Amino acid sequence: MTRSKMQQHGVDSPLAKNAPANRWFQLLVQNQTFWTAPLVTVLFSLFVRWAVALNPYSGFQTPPMFGDYEAQRHWMELTIHLPIKKWYRYDLQWWGLDYPPLTAYHSWLCGIVGSWINPAWFALDESRGYESPDSKHFMRATVVFWESIIFIPAVLVFTQICYGKQGHLKKNIAALLILLQPALIIIDHGHFQFNNIMLGTTLWAVNCFMMQQYALGSFFFCLSLGFKQMALYYAPAVFAFLLGKCFKEPNGIAMFIRLGVTVVATFGVLLSPFLTSVEDILQVFHRVFPIARGLYEDKVANMWCAVNVVVKLRQLFDLQTTIRLSLVATVLTMLPSVIHLGLNPTRKRLMYGLVCCSMSFFLFSFQVHEKSILLPALPVTLLILEEPWAVNMFINVAMFSMFPLLKREDLVLPYFLVTILWNYLAGFHTISMSKVVKLLTSICYTVILVWHIAESHIPPPQALPDLYTVLNVLFSCGCYLLAFLYFNWRQINLVDNATEYTDHRKKHQ
Amino acid sequence: MLNVLVVSSILKLLLVGAYRSTDFEVHRNWLAITYSLPISEWYYEKTSEWTLDYPPFFAWFERLLATFAPLADGKMLQVDNLNYASENTVLFQRLTVIVSELVLYWAILRYRRSFGSKYVNWVIAGSIFLHPGFLIVDHLHFQYNGFLYGILLHSIVEMKKRRYLLSGFLFAALLNFKHIYLYMAPAYFIYLLKAYCFQPIPTPTENGHADRQAYANVSRFSLVNFIKLGATVVVVFAISLGPFVYMGQIPQLLSRLFPFTRGLCHAYWAPNFWALYAGADRVLIIIGKRLGWSLNQDALGSMTRGFVGDTKFAVLPQIDAIHTLIITVIAQLIPLQLLWRKPTFNNFLTSLVLCGFASFLFGWHVHEKAILLILIPYSLMAANTKAHLKIFIILSASGIYSLFPLLFHSAETPIKTIFTLTWLLIVLPSLARTLHTPLRAVLHPLERLYLVGLVVLQIYTDVLHTVIFGTGKLEFLPLMMISIYTALGVCYGWVRLMAGYLNGTI
Repeated sequence: MTRSKMQQHGVDSPLAKNAPANRWFQLLVQNQTFWTAPLVTVLFSLFVRWAVALNPYSGFQTPPMFGDYEAQRHWMELTIHLPIKKWYRYDLQWWGLDYPPLTAYHSWLCGIVGSWINPAWFALDESRGYESPDSKHFMRATVVFWESIIFIPAVLVFTQICYGKQGHLKKNIAALLILLQPALIIIDHGHFQFNNIMLGTTLWAVNCFMMQQYALGSFFFCLSLGFKQMALYYAPAVFAFLLGKCFKEPNGIAMFIRLGVTVVATFGVLLSPFLTSVEDILQVFHRVFPIARGLYEDKVANMWCAVNVVVKLRQLFDLQTTIRLSLVATVLTMLPSVIHLGLNPTRKRLMYGLVCCSMSFFLFSFQVHEKSILLPALPVTLLILEEPWAVNMFINVAMFSMFPLLKREDLVLPYFLVTILWNYLAGFHTISMSKVVKLLTSICYTVILVWHIAESHIPPPQALPDLYTVLNVLFSCGCYLLAFLYFNWRQINLVDNATEYTDHRKKHQ
Repeated sequence: MLNVLVVSSILKLLLVGAYRSTDFEVHRNWLAITYSLPISEWYYEKTSEWTLDYPPFFAWFERLLATFAPLADGKMLQVDNLNYASENTVLFQRLTVIVSELVLYWAILRYRRSFGSKYVNWVIAGSIFLHPGFLIVDHLHFQYNGFLYGILLHSIVEMKKRRYLLSGFLFAALLNFKHIYLYMAPAYFIYLLKAYCFQPIPTPTENGHADRQAYANVSRFSLVNFIKLGATVVVVFAISLGPFVYMGQIPQLLSRLFPFTRGLCHAYWAPNFWALYAGADRVLIIIGKRLGWSLNQDALGSMTRGFVGDTKFAVLPQIDAIHTLIITVIAQLIPLQLLWRKPTFNNFLTSLVLCGFASFLFGWHVHEKAILLILIPYSLMAANTKAHLKIFIILSASGIYSLFPLLFHSAETPIKTIFTLTWLLIVLPSLARTLHTPLRAVLHPLERLYLVGLVVLQIYTDVLHTVIFGTGKLEFLPLMMISIYTALGVCYGWVRLMAGYLNGTI
């Protein structure tokens, strides 16, 4: 249903009228205690995060190498004990640091606080594979802490910017659903990573762009890149948007220079400890972009893995060819969206541009992890009130595609629970839709359901031990491709002009 | 309301893997005992130290749950399989708590229907179902209070509907599920006797005031009703205890239910009068040492060390079980005499709470979990007046906070604090709103200061204490501070409620 239709119906949000989230906030309105809504939303989402955090993490009690949790802990350990020069060189076989410097600084800060509480948690070399309830609690707390000061405020500001002028209801519903998006929760607080910092800084950048603070926005985006190189997935869209703005805005050249200086200065400061020698800086780049690891490692729901079922690309081509192949494919697929965004740099198109651009990276680029779906998932989630149906499908498929990973880590129960919780609150089961869409949706869910039942009850045949994972990859990849096409189509056909949001502002004043 | 049920069930399931106390093993053991052994051995079996010490209905309840246990993992039903906790066992037992809480859910639905579907009743119903006490004690610590309070609430609803026999029947059954509800029995007894067994004789009064008629002093004792009521209760008890009378096991059963060998205070002092008493004794010891008094030497060390032993006082007089009994009875008689004179439903509820209060504050070996006896029924009157709301806020904050030490691992700290905060944040403004008063106006500045003190105390016990004294040092100190500080709040609530009730100002 289109937005205008909804407004005719007098419903303030595009979700169904009796969606639990909707009813909850309406109740607060009736009772005139609406001031509690944002607080309750934040507390509730924190509660869910802490509850998920009670579960095991990646590599829990699995020596010798443990998992991502140990990687993060190890970085805290090595950054507080070693001089900066050694950070990217120390015993690389044991979870060598392979994220950009901001992650290293962040690890250093967490490590300092942690070893102040208990030095044994981060003793150099001695603490490898260290596991205790208290150290787990500390590590979990660092994730929640950073999320509460970066990502959560960013979401609240974002919803204020987008829906602040359209009544309280919409704003709060959007905030609740974005904060409870299950994929980010289960990876950061279950599996254990700090994606929320990268996504949070990206979201701050988006917020700044929307408020026309382009320099500040690009500063935030540089922080995001400096935290995890994966933020590059967004870079072409952000670049196209800013470039387009430089052409549209008065004093475009001055703005262009300002942006350039901001970017160079930010990276300069971030990398400054390594800039003293060419060797150091090369070592950082070598660690951050490990091209030697091949086109793909695990089974990921992207094109290369899916094609691999039929054609063994890795054996067919050498490394250099596969890099070139993936580069060309990525660039070609993102071009339509990026060029379109550059020509029409509006706020709403930026969101779609981010989705399309990061999707083409996810589907076609080199060395993608299943968790990288979080990158497209962020801008997708931000569109929750614009595209309830597509967003819902996308996130559910994203969760599904990560299931093999989560199952290995014993996160099956929280996987189901956070997904159901989010779907239920949004009342996705009550969205009205056309027959074709309904059919498509039910086919998707039937496939997922049948897969889950089969996977838990029927062991795979001996000859094909990875049968279920491969089926999962093929199905998810198909869905992602459809989503990619859909969001591209939506972006190009978007009825949006630069004045849309200002119009709203005028109307309500 | 269905939304609340679904969302809260999801949250509770998320907590399946969280900390569980020895009560988990207690209930696993009871599942095993009731499933594997003949009835005659239920109250004799002692392979595990956690012997069956709940009344027979609860044992039957465990027997019922145990029929479904083999679906999850049959090994949990072996009596000698001590401390068995496979993944499926944990999931199964957690699920039994969540499912049995449907009784509470049903009760709040009926409460809402019979008390009127006003908004305030919606809030109260929700606040009871999502009470942090249940989350902490049932879903983390592991017990079945949600189920039991569900029965209590059903009984109260019946009372409200003036279906006295059914109400009495439910309460008698509840007593045979868990005998802790004996604390409330006097209020039930008096109210049922007066409202049901004494029939008011309608006397034409001059102004024809309806309320006056209801408790007019001119009333006639109805022997028929008394016999009906008595028979109901006797039948319930006969069903429950009959088999054990037949087998001649009553003395053994009673010795299990009422173990009088324990001390005055539980290992962690429940926030009651004795916590204040013991705290005062500690302070006097310090003063006494300065002034060189002669102190009862063997009492000095026992305060915090003995887990389930006698609590000895060094300065203040010793307290025996009989003293606590006398004080409890007096504290119960005061509200009950008023109930006898004016048996209205509201007075019944207040007396119920005050009876719970009396036993909690002055009883022998009270558990901190018993605070729910006060908090849950009190919720029903929380929004009656401003004074009630004030007491409710103080009581809930201190009462729920006093349950925090049950979960002493760091991992659950955010869970319990965030949940409690959210609950307070939703419930209190809504209740204040229904009274058309701003929340600010409800509390005296000193009372607000007390609430802030709770937050400060939480920060101290959680963070600062370890920072100041180091890990593992003076571990009793934070616990002592919590029980004394929350005891202040609970006692204050009792005094206010009692005074307001007796003055008729509440």
